[in-house]
Amino acid sequence: MITLKINDLEVQVEQGTTLLEAARSLGFPIPTLCHMEGLSPYGACRLCVVEISRENTGSRLVTSCTYPVENDLIVKTASERVLKARRIIIELLLASSPQSKIIQDIAAEHGVRQQRFRQEYEDCILCGLCVRMCKEQMVAEAIGFQGRGDNRKIGTPFDTPADECRLCGGCMYVCPACQLRCTYTQPEKAICGGCANLQPPCVDKEKFDDMMCYMEPCVACEIIKEK
Amino acid sequence: MRRITSIEEFRQFRQIVMEEETGDLSIVVCAGTGGQASGANDIIRIIKKHILNKKLQDKISLKITGCQGFCEMDPFVIIEPGSHLYPKLKMEDIPKIIDSAVNGDLVEELLYKESKKTCFESKADIPFFQKQTRTILGRNERIDPIRIFNYIKEKGYSSLEKVLSDFDPEWIIEEIKKSGLRGRGGAGFLAGKKWELARATKSLINNGQKYLICNADEGDPGAYMDRSLLEGNPHSIIEGMIIAGLAIGATKGIIYVRSEYPLAIKHTLIALRMARDLGVLGENILGTGQDFDIQIVKGAGAFVCGEETALIKSIEGKIGEPRQRPPYPTDKGIYNCPTCINNVETLANVPIIISIGADEFAKVGVSGNTGTKIFSLVGKIKNTGLVEVPMGTTIKEIIYDIGGGAIDGGTIKAVQTGGPSGGCIPASMFDLPIDYDSLAKAGSIMGSGGLIVMDQDTCMVDIAKYYMKFFMEESCGKCYTCRKGTQRMYEILEEISEGRGTMKQLDLLEELAYVVRDTTMCGLGHSAPNPVLSTLKYFKEEYIEHIKYKKCRAGVCKDLVGAPCQDACPVGTEVWKYVAHLQRGEFEEAYMAIREPNPLPSICARVCNHPCEDRCRLGKSGADPVAIRSLKRFITDRVDPSIYKQDAVPLNGKKPAKVAIVGAGPSGISAAYYLSLNGFKVTVFDSNPEPGGMLITGIPTYRLPREIISKEIASLENENLEIKCSTVLGKDITIDQLFKDGFDSVYLALGSHKSRKLGLEKEDIEGVYPSLHFLREFNINNTNLAKGKVGILGGGNSAVDSARVALRQYDVDSVTLLYRRTDQEMPAFQEEIQAAIDEGVSIRTLVTPIEILAHDGRLAGLKCLENKLGEVDSSGRRRPVPIDGSEFDVELDTLIVAIGEQPEQEATVPYEIDVDRQFRVKVDPETLKTNRKGVFAGGDLVTGPSTVIDAIATGKKAAKLISNYLAGKPLEIPAVTKIPEEHIDSNLDNIEKYSRENRAEQPHIDIAERRSSFTEVEKCFAMEDALGEAGRCLRCDLEFTATEDGESEKKDALAKEVQNDNS
Repeated sequence: MITLKINDLEVQVEQGTTLLEAARSLGFPIPTLCHMEGLSPYGACRLCVVEISRENTGSRLVTSCTYPVENDLIVKTASERVLKARRIIIELLLASSPQSKIIQDIAAEHGVRQQRFRQEYEDCILCGLCVRMCKEQMVAEAIGFQGRGDNRKIGTPFDTPADECRLCGGCMYVCPACQLRCTYTQPEKAICGGCANLQPPCVDKEKFDDMMCYMEPCVACEIIKEK
Repeated sequence: MRRITSIEEFRQFRQIVMEEETGDLSIVVCAGTGGQASGANDIIRIIKKHILNKKLQDKISLKITGCQGFCEMDPFVIIEPGSHLYPKLKMEDIPKIIDSAVNGDLVEELLYKESKKTCFESKADIPFFQKQTRTILGRNERIDPIRIFNYIKEKGYSSLEKVLSDFDPEWIIEEIKKSGLRGRGGAGFLAGKKWELARATKSLINNGQKYLICNADEGDPGAYMDRSLLEGNPHSIIEGMIIAGLAIGATKGIIYVRSEYPLAIKHTLIALRMARDLGVLGENILGTGQDFDIQIVKGAGAFVCGEETALIKSIEGKIGEPRQRPPYPTDKGIYNCPTCINNVETLANVPIIISIGADEFAKVGVSGNTGTKIFSLVGKIKNTGLVEVPMGTTIKEIIYDIGGGAIDGGTIKAVQTGGPSGGCIPASMFDLPIDYDSLAKAGSIMGSGGLIVMDQDTCMVDIAKYYMKFFMEESCGKCYTCRKGTQRMYEILEEISEGRGTMKQLDLLEELAYVVRDTTMCGLGHSAPNPVLSTLKYFKEEYIEHIKYKKCRAGVCKDLVGAPCQDACPVGTEVWKYVAHLQRGEFEEAYMAIREPNPLPSICARVCNHPCEDRCRLGKSGADPVAIRSLKRFITDRVDPSIYKQDAVPLNGKKPAKVAIVGAGPSGISAAYYLSLNGFKVTVFDSNPEPGGMLITGIPTYRLPREIISKEIASLENENLEIKCSTVLGKDITIDQLFKDGFDSVYLALGSHKSRKLGLEKEDIEGVYPSLHFLREFNINNTNLAKGKVGILGGGNSAVDSARVALRQYDVDSVTLLYRRTDQEMPAFQEEIQAAIDEGVSIRTLVTPIEILAHDGRLAGLKCLENKLGEVDSSGRRRPVPIDGSEFDVELDTLIVAIGEQPEQEATVPYEIDVDRQFRVKVDPETLKTNRKGVFAGGDLVTGPSTVIDAIATGKKAAKLISNYLAGKPLEIPAVTKIPEEHIDSNLDNIEKYSRENRAEQPHIDIAERRSSFTEVEKCFAMEDALGEAGRCLRCDLEFTATEDGESEKKDALAKEVQNDNS
C-alpha cells in the first residue's frame, strides 16, 4: 500500500493507482475530458492537473490521470495554481470548440464566463478518446493520429476508408466535443448555454415553481435577467 | 583488417601504429558539413590535382578532417608543422600555398589576419583558438574520421583497453560520478548517477536485456556541435558508448541520429564497421568475453524526438510522442527494457575521464559544473563557429574574447542560449557564468549549447514569434496546452508584430505562457514558453513599443516598418518616393515628397546624419547603401522651394492664441512653422543676431553655408510667424513676463550650448577653449582663436568640426585630434572623420589627458597617458584603461576641449523648471510637458546634443501637442504606421541608361582649396550620377504597393473578360 496526502487527508491506496482514481475515490472532483474508465490513461487534455510536492521540495503540476501514486506525495487538487491553469485551459478549449456542451458545462462549473482568444469553430480537441476506444475496446485500430504540432489530426491510414472499421460508432459515442452539441445560437457569446438545452429548458422556469437548478451561475437565467 | 583477439595484441598493434612514420609536412583541410558547404571539396580537389601534377606526393601529405570549429573562416587549410592557418581560400590560392609550404615559406598575404593589420602565423596565437580549452574539439583537428588508425594514434581506444584489462563496472560508474560529469543534452543530470540507476535495474525481459542510446537528434536551429563530433571523431563516441554500455550491463547500443546529418551518418557507419573489423566492437570485444554492438537508427527530423521518451517510441517504430515519467527510461525504456540515454557530447567526455582520471577532469570548470562544454556560436557575431570552454566561463568572454564581438557597426543586445527552448539573455547580464544553474536562474537553459547572438537589427518580438512558430510546428501535439498554447501564443505575437496587439493581450500572453510551462508533460512543453517569457522579462519595452507606438525599433516587423528608410527617418520622410521620382526624372514631384514632412530640407540635405542610409536594405545586404542624403541635395539644389505652398489656417477674425518659442534652432523653427500654419500667432525669440541656433553657431560654413540657412528659414515665414533675434531669455525676456504679455503657451528649445569641462587644473588659462566657444567665436564674431600647434580633445562631431575649422585658420601649423578610445568607436559621423583626415588632421587614439602644462600663464602642452582596451562595458565597446607609466607630453599652443555638451543652466534654472544633473530639462517624453503649466520643451535642451533631424521631429511633435493643448484637447498623438501607399513605377529606360553598380561618391572641391577656405566642401551630384544612384534603390516600397496594383490589374482584366463574354 502507498501512503500519501491528498488535500491534507492522509490516505492509503494500492500501488499502481493513479492520482485521479485516488482523489475521486475520496470524493474530490477533478474535471477530465480525455479520461475514460476502461481506456488507458493518456494525459492529453491536461484538465486534470493537480499540484504535487514532497516535504521540502518545490511543487509542480502533473496530470492526475497518468501520474501513479507515490509514497509521501503531497497532492493538492484545487490549489490556486491548479485552478488558474485549469481556467486558462478551459478558455483555450472554449476558444476552439465553443459548441461542445461538455466543455461549456465544465466552463460553467469553473466560473469561466469569457474566453480571450481568437474564436475558432473546431470540432476536435484531439483528446484521443476515439483512437483509444477503437484500439482498446473495439480492437480495430482503424483510426489514429497523423502529423504533429498544429498539423496533428485524427484519421484513417492514408486517409482512405479503413477496412478495419466496422462502423461501430464507438468513436463518436466517446467524443466530448461532438457527441452533444450545444444548440444555443451563439455559444461563444454566452458561454455555457448548456442550461438552455435542458429538457424542459430552464428558460421556462416560471412554469415549474419548485424546479431546482444545479447550475451556478446559470447563463440562461443571466440572459433573462439582462433582458 | 585482421580481428584482434586479446588486449595484449591490441597494445602491440597500437605500438606499431604509433611508430609508423608519417611525412613531416602536411596540409590539413577542415571538411565538416560547414566546410564542405563553403567549398572545402573544391579545395581538396585542387590540392590533390596540384600535388599530383607537381609530383609532390613524397614531400607533402593531405589530411581531411571533420569540423575544426572556425566555421567563419571556411574553407581553410592548416599547414603542419607550424599550424599556419590560411582562411577563406579560393581555389586559385592553393598552388601558391602548397609551393611555398614545400619550400618552407609562408604566404603572408593569405595568412589569418585580424582588423587587416595583425597577422597570425600560428593557429595557436589566434584569439579564437587561444582562449578556448579544446579537450574534445581539439582532437578533431588531428583525426581523419574515416581512418581508425588516426584515432588509435591519438590514444584512441586506450580508455577501453584500460577498462577491459581490469574489468570492474562499479569502478567505471564510480569514476564517472566522481568526475561530476553532467548530461550535455541540456538538463544536466549527473551521468554517473544515471548509469548507476540503469545498472541497478534488473531487466526481466530477454535475459536481462538493457540498452544504451546515444542521442544525436540535435534539432535546435543554430546548434551543430553533436553533428561535428559525430562527423569529426565518431570513434570517440563509439568508445564512450562501449564503456557506458559495459558499465550499465547493456549489450546493445543505438545511435539515434537525424537523417539530416548524412555526413555524420556516413562517417559513423564507416567507423562502426572498422571498429567491428578490428575487434573493439561486437561480440567478444578484444577476446575479453564482453559483448557490445551498436546500430544506427535514423530519425525523421522531429524536434520532439530529442526528448528521451519520445525518442524511445520513435526507435520502437511508433509515433514520436513523449509519455509520463515516471517510470523513467532507466526503469522502462525500449520494449520496456532498462535504457540509458546519453547525449553525444556526454559520451565524448567518457573516454577522456577514464584516460586522465576523474580528479584531473574535475579540475576544469567550476564546482558542480565540471569539464568543458562546446557551444555553437552563431548569429550576429564576427567569428561564427564551435567553441569549447570550461564550464563557468562568462558569456562576455565567449562573445567578445573568442567570438570577436559584434559584426562591424553593430551592437550586441542579447544572446539566446539553449536554442528554441532557451531564453534571451540581455547584454547587461553578460557577466553571467555559463553553467546549468546560473542559466536556469536567469530564465534560460543550457540546452545542448547553442548561442545565438542578436544585435540591434534583431526584433525581440519577432524572435519570440519565430520560436513560437517553431514550437507550434514541432510540438508533438499530444498535450492540449502545448499544441494549442503555442498556437495561441504565436497568434498573439503575430497580432502584436502586425500592430494590432493590445496591452491586455500582452498580459494574456504572459498568463498563458506560465500555464503552458506548468501544465505540459515533457521538456519541450515546459521550455516552449521560455522565448516569450525571457523576452517579456528583459525586453518588455519592445513589446510596448509595438503595441502603443506601432514601432519596431529593429526595423524587422514588416507591417509596422514598411520601407526601412521611411521608418528610420524621425520625421517619416517617404524616402523611397523621392528616390523613385528622381529616378524617373520627376524632380518637382521628388521635391514635394521631401518638403512635405520636413520644413528644412536643404539644411538636412547637407548635415543630416541620415539614419535612412544606416537602415537601407541595400546596405544591409552587403553593398553600400543608396546615397540618400546626396540625392536629397541634388533635388533641393535643383528645385525652387516656392513650388511647395502650404496655406496657413485663416484666423477667422477670432483672436488667435499666442505661442512664444524660445530658441530659433531647428526644433524651435519647426515648431513655430507648424503652429503658425495651424492658425496660432507665434513669436520666436533667439539670443543670436540671426535665427538658426546650433546650425549657425556650431556647424561650420564649409558644411552648411549661411545663405542656405537664411533662405530656408525665410521661406517658412508667414503672417502668423515672427522671429525676434538678439533677445536673450533671462535678460530681455523672462518666462513669467511672456505669460504676462499674453502668450498662452511657451515652447523652450534653447539647445545645448555649453561645453563640458575636463575637470583638470588650469583649464581656464589662455590657449584652452571649450569647443562650442571656439566655434561660436569664429562663426558669429569671425575671431580666430587657434594658432600654432592645435590639439583637440574628443571624438564627437563637435571635436571634428573644431579640428576642421582650426585647420582653416591663419596661424595654425598642425591639428591633432586626441581621443580616448580607438577610431572605430568615435561617435562623429564617419564621412566627417574621413574628410578631416583627408584635409590633414592627424588623429591620435587611446589617449587620456592628465595634466595641462603651462608656461608664463599660457598653455604649453598636455601631459597624457596611453590607454589600452580593457573589459567590454555596457555599451558593448571596450573600455579604455590608462597604462601606468606611459606618460608622454604633447606640445600645444591651443587646446580645444570637445568632450560633450549640455544646456546652459542660466537658461532654465531661474524659472523653476525641473532639470536633471546635467541641466537638461525634464519633460514627459510623450507630451513634452515640463513641470510648469503651459510650458513645453524639446530639442537638445531636453536630450542633450542630438541631431538636426531629431530636433525637427520634436519641433513638429511639439507643434501638434501645443495645438492640442491650446484647443483643450488631450495631449496625445495617435500612433500611425507609415506603410507606402502610392505605387510608382521605375523608369526602365533610365535604369538601362544610367545603371551603376557601386554607390556614387559625393563630389568634393579640391583638397588644397578646402584647407585654405570656407567654401562648401561637398558639391552636388551630376545628373547621370544622381539618376544612376537612384536606380540602385531596391524599392522596398513595392512590396506594399505592387500587390494591390497587381490585384487591381487582375480585377480590371477580369472585368474586361466578363464584359467581353457579355457582349
